[in-house]
This record gives sequence, C-alpha cells and structure tokens, in this order.
Amino acid sequence: MPSSTTDHASRRVIGARAALIWGVIAAVLVTVASVGVFLVAPEDADQGVIQRIFYFHVAIALVSLVIFAVACVAGILYLRTRNVRWDDVSVTAIRIGMLFSVLVIITGSIWAKASWGTWWVWADPRLVTYLIVVLIYAAYFVLRSSVDDDRRLRYSAIYAIAGFVSVPLSFYSVRIAQSFVHPVVFTSGGANMPGSMLIWFLISLAAMLALFIALLEVELVGRRTERALRALSLRLESS
Amino acid sequence: MSACGVGHIYGERAAVADVHLDVVAGERVAIAGPNGAGKSTLLRMVATLLRTGTGTLTVLGEELPGGARRARCGIGYLAHDPLAYLDLSPRQNLQLYADLFGVQDADRRIDDLLERVDLIARADDPVRVLSRGMAQRLALARMLLHEPRLLLLDEPHASLDAAGTALLDAELATMHADGRAAVIVTHEVERIASVADRLVVMRRGRIVVDEPVAGRGPAQVRARYEECIA
Amino acid sequence: MSMAVNRPRWTRQLAGLIRKDLRLELRTKETVMAMVLFSIVTLTIMQFGFGTRDDDLTRFTGGLMWVTLAFTAVLGVGRSYVAEREQRVLDGILASPVPRVVLLAAKAIAIVIYMAITELVVIPVVGIFFVKGPYWDSIGWIALVALIANVCIALSGTLFSGLALFTRARDLILPVLFLPALVPVVIAGAGATHAVVGGPHDMSEYRGYCLFLVGYAILFLLVCIATYDAVFDD
Repeated sequence: MPSSTTDHASRRVIGARAALIWGVIAAVLVTVASVGVFLVAPEDADQGVIQRIFYFHVAIALVSLVIFAVACVAGILYLRTRNVRWDDVSVTAIRIGMLFSVLVIITGSIWAKASWGTWWVWADPRLVTYLIVVLIYAAYFVLRSSVDDDRRLRYSAIYAIAGFVSVPLSFYSVRIAQSFVHPVVFTSGGANMPGSMLIWFLISLAAMLALFIALLEVELVGRRTERALRALSLRLESS
Repeated sequence: MSACGVGHIYGERAAVADVHLDVVAGERVAIAGPNGAGKSTLLRMVATLLRTGTGTLTVLGEELPGGARRARCGIGYLAHDPLAYLDLSPRQNLQLYADLFGVQDADRRIDDLLERVDLIARADDPVRVLSRGMAQRLALARMLLHEPRLLLLDEPHASLDAAGTALLDAELATMHADGRAAVIVTHEVERIASVADRLVVMRRGRIVVDEPVAGRGPAQVRARYEECIA
Repeated sequence: MSMAVNRPRWTRQLAGLIRKDLRLELRTKETVMAMVLFSIVTLTIMQFGFGTRDDDLTRFTGGLMWVTLAFTAVLGVGRSYVAEREQRVLDGILASPVPRVVLLAAKAIAIVIYMAITELVVIPVVGIFFVKGPYWDSIGWIALVALIANVCIALSGTLFSGLALFTRARDLILPVLFLPALVPVVIAGAGATHAVVGGPHDMSEYRGYCLFLVGYAILFLLVCIATYDAVFDD
C-alpha cells in the first residue's frame, strides 16, 4: 500500500513539472510570436495591418487539427486499454480543440470583415468547415453529459474517433462544392509567402502547439489530482 | 465456469467484489441473498453481458472477455424479461434465435420445444397477446433452443407459471446425468432444496456462505439462509 | 444430448436479423409510414419557407430534396433500436454468439431499405412539386446517387444510433450527433442532384460528388468495424 501511494504521488509531481515546463515554453513562444507578428513581420502590400491576423488564424486552424487527431488516437488507446488516463487526454484535447476552433472562426470572421466587409462569408471554406467542426465536437459534450460510468468513457472514445473522421469529410465536401460552383479563390496563402513571413508563421505555429500542450498538461494534472483526492476520500469513508 | 476475484463497480459503488466461485459440470448452484446483494450483476457477468471490473472469469473454458463469443454458444440465459419481440410470434422469435445460435434442423427443434412448453396452439400469435406466464415459457424454450451446457437463471420461479415451473424443475433434474451445469439466482429460498446442490449466499457484493445443500429440507435451507444474512 | 457446440454462420445470423426487422416493420408499418409522411410534409413546408406559392425553386431542387432526406433519415435511424429497447430484447441478442458488426450490418441494411422506399416517393414528388424543366430523363442518375448516399446514411446512422441508445434524452441526442456528420452527405447529394437537374448535365461534377460519397461510406465503414464491438461491450 505505501509503495502504491508514493508511486501515485510521484507520478503526479512529474505531471505537474511537465505542465510547468510546457507552460513556460508556451508563454515564451506566444510572446515572441506576438511581438514578431505585430511589430517585426513585413506589412502586406494589399491588405495592410489586418493581414497580420492570418498568422494566428492559420496556425490555430492547423494546430486544432493536430489536437483532434490527438483526441482520436487517445480514444483508440482508451478502447484498447480501458485506462481512464486516455479518456482524460481525449476529453481534454477536445475541450482545447473546441476553444481553438472557436478562435479560428472568430479570427476568420474578423479577417472576413476587414477584407470583404461582412462578418460571415459562406464562400470561405475554412470558416464554413470550422463551423461544422465546432458543431461536431459540441455534440461530443452533449453525448458525454447524458451517459454515465463506463459507457460515458466508451461512447466518448468512439465519438472522438467518428468525429475525427467527419472532419476531413466536412472539409473536403465544402471544398468540392466550392470548386464546382466557382474555382477556389481563397487559398491559405501559404504557397507564395515570402521568407520573412514564413518564419513568423512557423513561430506562431510552434507557439500554438506549445500552448496546446501546456493547456493539456495543466488540465491533466488537475484531473489526476481530483481523481486521487476522490479515491482518498472514499478510502477514508470506508475505513 | 470459474470466477476468481471477480468484481464490478458501478460508479464508485462496488456491486460485486472479490467473488470466488467454481461451478463444475453437472452441478446446480443456487445464489440467494437480499435485494442489491449483487446476484444479478454476477449472473450478467457470467452471461457475458457485463464486463468484469476486476479478477478473471472463465466460462465453459473460455476466458472473458476475449472468449466471450465462443462461450455464448454454450450459455442459456433466462432473464426477468422474456427477451422476445412482442410483435413477432413465438415461432418467429425462436427462428431468429435459431439463426443467431446456428441451430441445426431448426424447424423440427422449434416445433419440438413449442410442444414441450405447451405453446404450439399459440405458436403464431404475437407475443404481445400472450399471458406473462406463456411469454416466460417461451423464454424457457428460447433458453433451451441451442442445447446450452450452462444455464443461467435469474429469478426463474418469480415469473413462471405452474406449468413452466414444473418444466424447469424437470429440466434441472436431468442435468446431473448429462453433465450440464446451472446457476440459479433466486429469492425463493425454500425451492433451493429441490433444485440445487449448492447454496451460495451473497451480501453486499460478497459471498458469505458457499456450502452443499446436502439433503436439507426447505425449512432447514430457509433457516440456514436467515442465519447467514442476519 | 450432443456436446458439440454449433458454429453459427454469420450469413445466417445476418439474414435472420434482417428478416426479423422486416417482419416487425411489416406488422407495425410504423417507421416507413412515418418517414414517407414526414418527408412530404417537409417538402410542402419548404415551398413556403423559401418563397411564396409562385416562386420557382427549380434551382434549389437538390438542396430541398437532400435536406428533407437528411431529416427523414434522422427520424428513421432514431427508430432503429426502438423495439429492442422498449421490449427489452437487446440482452437476448447480445447474449447470443453474434458478432456486433453483424448487428450493425443488419440494422444498416434495414435503414437502406427504408430510405429507398421513402425515396421512391420523395424523388417523384420533388420533380412534380419543384422542377420546371427537364427532370424525368435524369431520374436514373438521381436514383443512383440516392442509393450511394443511403449507404452513407445507414453506416453513420447506425453507429450514432448505437451510441444514443442508452443516453438520457436520446431522441434529442441522436440528431445532435448525427446531423453534423450528415452535412457532407447533404452537400454531395444536393450537388450531384443539382448537376443533373433543370438544365444541361454536368457529368464530371456528378461523378466527383458520387466518388466523394463512396469515400464517405468507406471511411465510416472502417470506423464502424473498428468501434462497433465497443458500442455494446458493457
């Protein structure tokens, strides 16, 4: 019994340290990226200052896909091992992914307002895709809150997998619909980026990725602590 | 079947904890206990309908959950509900289960069973219009359809009518001879003397007594049971 | 009494399960009747939702048809496990040696059949109600895309209805889970229909949408095969 308790405690400390390290990395990278994007990177000739939101908009969009992939893999691992730690990873990742997706829509909407004068442009595939993505993953939480115990974890894992399959399907269906109606005009703009822009874009990307990992670690530490606490109180109750 | 340290947890409450139980071929084991003792949960785990949370459970030589599908071929499960579609007839229900279990020569076997449970006259009426006792006799036929080697009975006497009870008791009486086993969860402690060889009493998810019935009469079994749960 | 354990063949299990679903439907006629009526009512509402009695909606034919079919699919899929749940038969099925994927396949095939019957009514009605111009000569193409889309709907629908089965307020949960996943099907179905209705046919566009639907069906088939065991693994 004492060995398992120390084991548990030490693991929690390790988790906390990782969270701290990633938190620092994320803070530094986000600061560097913000300074670089708003003060150092060259101003776009056509769009002016508003173009700078693109760095974050696209970086967040790309990272959110990574996040949902993480949630999907964690779901697969949960179904294989039935270890609740993988459910923690999956649900936390989806929660952060939802936050990122909403940010994609908000930044995209601001960009649309500045470029085309309206907050919402159905012709922009990224905006539309992320709207569908938000709807897909919002349903995850509805599902989760309406089942209990084992089933909650199992169903969540299955939905994390099915949801991740729906993402590329939504993305592609929005794309082909657009390309048939009129050729895609608004590409990500990544292909013809000058080098100085590309560097700041990559740094923003790294910053967002670090931010995700930091948020994930912090939340996981919280969840593990909470579970350990509950187990402890249960043991105290029964003794 | 063999259960070793088997447990199951609902939320944070253990419904079944650390159960050790071996049932050998030809044996009939009765599980008794107050409401909420975990009897039905244990039976559902053996019936492969519920995963074990802890411990290992082996049924008909197959370790669960990996061997669940092979084990299911040899399990007959009688639940509280008849497990029959109300809008299908008894015959159609049995045909479905015959397909699911891969029963050979199904039509003859179904007629034979419907005859035995005395439902042949109502074989083509929807189950919805049958009485509760008839529906449960259909469940009895469904359980026996694929000639299971292990019978799992959840409160069989609570819902069966007199004819059904007689049929079931006759079936249980022949089990010794052909090496089949049965686990019977029951409230009606007096009946245990006549249908089981072993008495297991559960309380709060744990087995508190596991001993042979050994020729005790109904009153003696009842007395022993009261003593166990007191 | 033989001790040999029967080895049930999955083809027989599948046929038995489908026969059971069709027998139930033939006796009660609840699901298909409701789906057909619902779709006609929805189509009627559409005319007033999108314009007045005089407006020509030919341009929106594909969209009208597939929005209606998507909502109808939610209705039909929601009925998938009603008999098992309300009459508490599921334990009996699950205690039998049937692979869970065979359960899924049986339910999916039943949904494909119900959807096909509904479309038998919906596709002509859409032509009569909304289309001014050529329609009937391309009805074969519409039927083809409907058939492919039905497989998509059935696969994702069966998976989500399995997930919604034991949730609280499952009648609300299913549309919330299922409709976002149906968006690509609606886009592609409407696009393919649009490509062959009310004007010159654009076959390359039609083919593109159909191929997309085939891809959708394959992806969801893989997800179903990978996860359906876990849906019923309590």
